[in-house]
Amino acid sequence: MADRRRVNGPGSSTLPPVYDDGELDAALRRQRAPDAIRPLYLKTGVTPSASGSAYLEIEPREGEHGSGMKLTCTVHGPRSLPRSAPFSPYMVLSTHVKFAPFATKQRRGYLRDSSEKDLSTHLETALRGALIADRWPKSGVDVVVTIIEGESTRQDAVERRVEEWDVMNVLGGCITVASAAIADAGIDCVDTVSGGVAALVASKDGKDASIVLDPVALEHESILAACCVAYLPNRDEVTNLWFKGQLPSPASCNHQSLVSRAVQASRGTHGLISASLSEAIGSTQN
Amino acid sequence: MLDDESVAQDEDDEDEEQGDARDEILTPGTVITSNSQWMRGHGTYVPLNTSSITSSLAGTLTRTNKLLSVRPLRARYNPEIGDLVVGRIVEVQAKRWRVDVAAAQLAILQISAINLPGGILRKRTETDELQIRSFFAEGDLLVAEVQQLHQDGAASLHTRSLKYGKLRNGVFVAVAGTGGGAGVVRSKRQLWTMEAANGGGKIDVLLGVNGYIWISKHIESDAAAEAAGINRMEESVSSQIYSSQNNHIDVTTMREIARCRSVILALVENGVKVDEDTVTRGYNEAVEFGRESMEDDIYLGGERGQRLAAALAGR
Amino acid sequence: MANQQTLLSPAELAYLHSSLSLSPPIRPDGRTAKQFRPLTAETGILPGTNGSARVCLADGTEAIVGVKAEIEKTVDPLGGEHYQEYVKSASGAGGGDAEEDKRGARGEWLEMTVEIPGLRDDDAGTVFLAELLREALLADGEFAKKLWINRRFHWRLYLDIILISPPLSYPLPLLSLTTHLALLSTRLPRLKSEGDEDPMFDDDWEASPFLYPRQGAAAGSRPPITLLVVAVGDSILFDPSKEELAVADSALAVSLCEVRTQKGDESMEVDSGRELRLVSMRTVDPPSRLTPPGVPSTGNFAASGTFDPSSQKKQQQQQQRVEEYPQEGVWKAPLGGTRFAVLDSIIRAVLEKGGVADEVLDGLEGVDLS
Repeated sequence: MADRRRVNGPGSSTLPPVYDDGELDAALRRQRAPDAIRPLYLKTGVTPSASGSAYLEIEPREGEHGSGMKLTCTVHGPRSLPRSAPFSPYMVLSTHVKFAPFATKQRRGYLRDSSEKDLSTHLETALRGALIADRWPKSGVDVVVTIIEGESTRQDAVERRVEEWDVMNVLGGCITVASAAIADAGIDCVDTVSGGVAALVASKDGKDASIVLDPVALEHESILAACCVAYLPNRDEVTNLWFKGQLPSPASCNHQSLVSRAVQASRGTHGLISASLSEAIGSTQN
Repeated sequence: MLDDESVAQDEDDEDEEQGDARDEILTPGTVITSNSQWMRGHGTYVPLNTSSITSSLAGTLTRTNKLLSVRPLRARYNPEIGDLVVGRIVEVQAKRWRVDVAAAQLAILQISAINLPGGILRKRTETDELQIRSFFAEGDLLVAEVQQLHQDGAASLHTRSLKYGKLRNGVFVAVAGTGGGAGVVRSKRQLWTMEAANGGGKIDVLLGVNGYIWISKHIESDAAAEAAGINRMEESVSSQIYSSQNNHIDVTTMREIARCRSVILALVENGVKVDEDTVTRGYNEAVEFGRESMEDDIYLGGERGQRLAAALAGR
Repeated sequence: MANQQTLLSPAELAYLHSSLSLSPPIRPDGRTAKQFRPLTAETGILPGTNGSARVCLADGTEAIVGVKAEIEKTVDPLGGEHYQEYVKSASGAGGGDAEEDKRGARGEWLEMTVEIPGLRDDDAGTVFLAELLREALLADGEFAKKLWINRRFHWRLYLDIILISPPLSYPLPLLSLTTHLALLSTRLPRLKSEGDEDPMFDDDWEASPFLYPRQGAAAGSRPPITLLVVAVGDSILFDPSKEELAVADSALAVSLCEVRTQKGDESMEVDSGRELRLVSMRTVDPPSRLTPPGVPSTGNFAASGTFDPSSQKKQQQQQQRVEEYPQEGVWKAPLGGTRFAVLDSIIRAVLEKGGVADEVLDGLEGVDLS
């Protein structure tokens, strides 16, 4: 949606530089196994001024530029609600997801657009299920996630319109990083929630489809459907489910396998969160 | 609207004071009369430099002796002292609650106007004030009586009777309150117990004058406590009075409560007033409806509701 | 929107939850688990639009959708129209590869806004609803192709959804059904020009084709519908009212579209040949997580009527016990997420043959499309 509060310049007066990335060649294809997720780097406590914070980096493929993702999350609170706010027996959670203006190929404005607001709502649903909100009555907590570098920095991404699928990966990353930051802030949770994405991709000839974990849209000819879950591994529960796309007609039960694969992906990231948290605790104890 | 002649005419036959003028709908700005013998009441005003009484509402004219007033066709609930109302707590303040009673202003319930646990004679302490949320918290439903009206139209409530207090074991439904058209009308009894069909036990129906309705399972008061005398009873009842725990309710009772609620919704949807008579008759009718089919459908929306209303009007 | 509070007392919540988790559930308005509220619908109500519809629920909630179309030059992300012309001249093809060209169709050509009185248009809840409906519409990738005119021009479709009064329940199903009908009644002027020349249109409105072709040659997908389904205990309820949503353990918005396949004349029966396809799902944050907890008869200072320090200590212990073991009749907001088995049974209930979705689509088919 266009920024309606400011006077914007003419939309088509300048053109961004075009780099010829060449054809989608074999080297760009997915080389990971279908059930492998990309390596992640997660560190908590990166922002000293916030009550809790975390940084997540998804590693781009070796020698490859721009299919990774960098996210940071800060948690402010729990702090007391403003005087004007009505009484709440629970902690009031508010989430903000924002792309840095330079995070994608096409520059983003400073105002949150509808896709960012949509992501915030998803993230809120995912986190709210995990929090034990009645431990903190009359208080508020703000969770702010900034995407420093998005996945679609390549020209191909714009050209092939894969942003809509990348949003799922972004949400998965947001959930994971926010979960780590909340744990770092010392806010009670029933379980550590983690995000996972799975997609149904068509092969080159478009005949058969297979499910891959942690998909990178650029690496595949076309994505038919994708699913992102926020999952609590120890309780075996889903707090947020987001699915979109088209499943090949007769197999209506395919959504189950897609969701269960997404759950599998989030189990993978869950291990990482716990490892990173225990590492952080270990370093403070020494 | 009324020219002097017709007013004069009506004056002649005092008995016919609810004459045809009553059925006519006045709109704001309509001159009712310029005869100075009439007094202006609610819903009317006198424009500057004139002596003609003008309607300020859309509604029908009512005459009480020499007082002319306009009753609106639709309006929000207007509290009157002694009204039995159902309200919902929306805000908790230092020594009082603010209660939504569907009126223009939130009603006020002072902590001094409730029954404190441990007997009627107990003194209000600071501890009570600190624990104010343990009596009523945001969202709680209560039944109360309008005790007093303030200048700004806000009402003060009280619950100083065993009949009043927090509501449990039932469902809530909001319809239009008094003020014309369909909805709850003031009547002799706003609260009654009826025997539910299909072995559903007894259910209580409480029609708040403000249009808020509570339908619940009837709880027999403890016979032993009653025997123990009025003071003891006070004590034993108070242990329940601020609880929000429901008693065990049978499935059959729940079904009949839901049936009763859908009867009320159907009445409102089809423009029938809601009072003890229409609800009991409607309920019996609905039980008959339910027996027509095997699965005993208790939903009364759409066509079934229209049938119900027609059946009630037919008698 | 989902977190817009419906204030209910703990006793009400506990009652509703226990009556809804019965089998079969007892809903406060007496409906069965799969029953929708009756509604009235009409289409083609606004002559100034390309397509419009109005749906009205019995409680007075009403939604109006207007669809407007404008012609727009297609700007290629790579450098304007010249690029396209270049490609065209290079390939030297005529209109034969139109299917191939249509791959350039973009979802951005559809602009969708939702207006709900009492909420800002950039409110997170409103945006969520708009994105949900938009995503369902674009999910199959077929919709944008309908807006393609030629390589240089396309239709820009504005879909404006307006709710007339503040909603009495989560308005998703209402908005979705209205949108469905409006799109079915949408017509675009018939194209007279050929190839990539500036588009010229037939000004006879009667001759204009429908965006979604009518029966007869009715192959292809139909606009999606989105159903809101909640799970309370073991019950699965469709079209929840606000009270039901307030006690829901989980809520799921499921969008599906009907795909009609061209078959021989002997199987012209529409009902049997209907194929439902899941196009999108989202969990909706159930407002139950923010409901006030109930107070059991024991362990409440006000109820027990006594107050002294020793009893307070006992209370705290009791409180802790209460936290762990739910008591009958005491409301406690749900914690944690939803088991996948529950979500799966919701999806199955939606996609079931001859189930609710079929019923709703049958009902919508009965609406006179003008």
